[in-house]
Amino acid sequence: MNRGLLTALAIARKDLQTELRTKESINASASFALVILVLFSFAFDLGREELYAIAGGLLWLVFSFAGALIVNRSFARELPNDCLDVLIASPAPAWSIFLGKSVAAFFLLFIVELISLPVFGLFYNIHWTQNFPGLLLVMALATWGITVVGTAFSAVTVNIRLRELMLPVLLYPILIPLLIGAMGTTTALLQGEPMFGPGATGEAFASLRLLIGFDVIYTSLALYMIEFILIV
Amino acid sequence: MDITNLTFLFYGYSAAWIIITAFVFLLVSRGRRIDRELDRLKSLVADRDRSR
Amino acid sequence: MREKAIYILAILAALVMIPNLKTVFMGLPDEAMQGAIYRIIFIHVPAAINAQVFFTVSLVTSILFLVKKNFLWDSISVSCIEVGTMLVVVNLVTGSIWGRNQWGIWWAWDLRMTSQLMCFLLYLGYLLVRPAIAEPTQRATLSAFVAIFAYADIPLVLMAIRLPNVRTQHPGPVLETGTMAPEFRAPFGLGVLAVFLICTALILIRQHQETAQREIDSLRRELHSI
Repeated sequence: MNRGLLTALAIARKDLQTELRTKESINASASFALVILVLFSFAFDLGREELYAIAGGLLWLVFSFAGALIVNRSFARELPNDCLDVLIASPAPAWSIFLGKSVAAFFLLFIVELISLPVFGLFYNIHWTQNFPGLLLVMALATWGITVVGTAFSAVTVNIRLRELMLPVLLYPILIPLLIGAMGTTTALLQGEPMFGPGATGEAFASLRLLIGFDVIYTSLALYMIEFILIV
Repeated sequence: MDITNLTFLFYGYSAAWIIITAFVFLLVSRGRRIDRELDRLKSLVADRDRSR
Repeated sequence: MREKAIYILAILAALVMIPNLKTVFMGLPDEAMQGAIYRIIFIHVPAAINAQVFFTVSLVTSILFLVKKNFLWDSISVSCIEVGTMLVVVNLVTGSIWGRNQWGIWWAWDLRMTSQLMCFLLYLGYLLVRPAIAEPTQRATLSAFVAIFAYADIPLVLMAIRLPNVRTQHPGPVLETGTMAPEFRAPFGLGVLAVFLICTALILIRQHQETAQREIDSLRRELHSI
């Protein structure tokens, strides 16, 4: 168990290091997120109130698009030089390979989100700094959900043809409940609704349970089942 | 009751049955294709075994 | 044996369904609020119930495949999901037609409609990804994985659509609060049974095709290997 966790950490470090050296997927993902943010401003012409009402939805659409780009590379990165076969043949258990890759994807997506959030606030004139700790919590939970399911499906699609097309087809329907929850909470938080304490109406808190449930269910399911799909 | 109501009831049931029938046609055509392919492959294998 | 079972199921379905349709259309009175259109529930709800039943079967058979590696379970999974998805389409389309008549709109982001649409999208992903995988063992294993992931999403979807920020047409799902008049119950139950029988026959046909398809794959490989 302990050794598996250490292996996972090593794999996460390896993935992050390669990625931060080349910056290929993080650059693509971040610039893609920015382009979508800019495009949205042409899609809607909104007043201040309306903008706040859809802010959470906007942000999470951008984040989930960016996330699909990042997790797509998770296992595909190992394809050249047959690195994936070597990883699978190594004594590392399948779940720690998977966990390491999910953690790496989590940090990459989180970086992209932290880049796009201020840009979003700047372009759309939204005070994202109020309730920032609550926002960080929601971002962490939902980003983990996106990356854990995304990395699992990245392992499913890595060896099939039309990989880049199949990943979103599988990923987004599964993510719908997570995104519904994250969007609602983020909107409430951006509108100045505190998550806890006095003044909290519970709107910002309501979907936290859903996010945690999603993360727990899919993390355990993926860790338990990844063995079956990495070996075939 | 008014007539639009009955019309929509008719639409509803027709739609349901059209979908089911379309699915059955899909199944039948796929079944035919699979049977043809299976026969072709079986005769190919038989030819090969005979020529050996 | 299989063909006999399919014929028997089809005959049974006809025996259940035809008298039942007669009761539904000729015997039952119009509903007080909706008039004649309410009769759509005798196909609309049985489709939804049976879809859930078949999706649950596919979950069980997918797990069984991963454990036992027997392709029988895989072929049952794919057949159940295909027929179940077809039933979800029946459910959505009939519901939409009912909504056009009763609400004046084809679609509302109502709790049940939203969850059913998500269910459709989940299993559509399964049906799309499956043909993209060429190697049979890999296809069956990855499909089983996707089926289990998709099924795990259903309770989360049901939780998500109850969040306060989700706008709904209905205050709550029909089935949790409403009750059915006693004379409607028997035709309703028979409707569920009829759809179940028809779809079981379709699943048997589809499952046979899947087995034949695998035979084709192995014959092809045998021919290529020489």
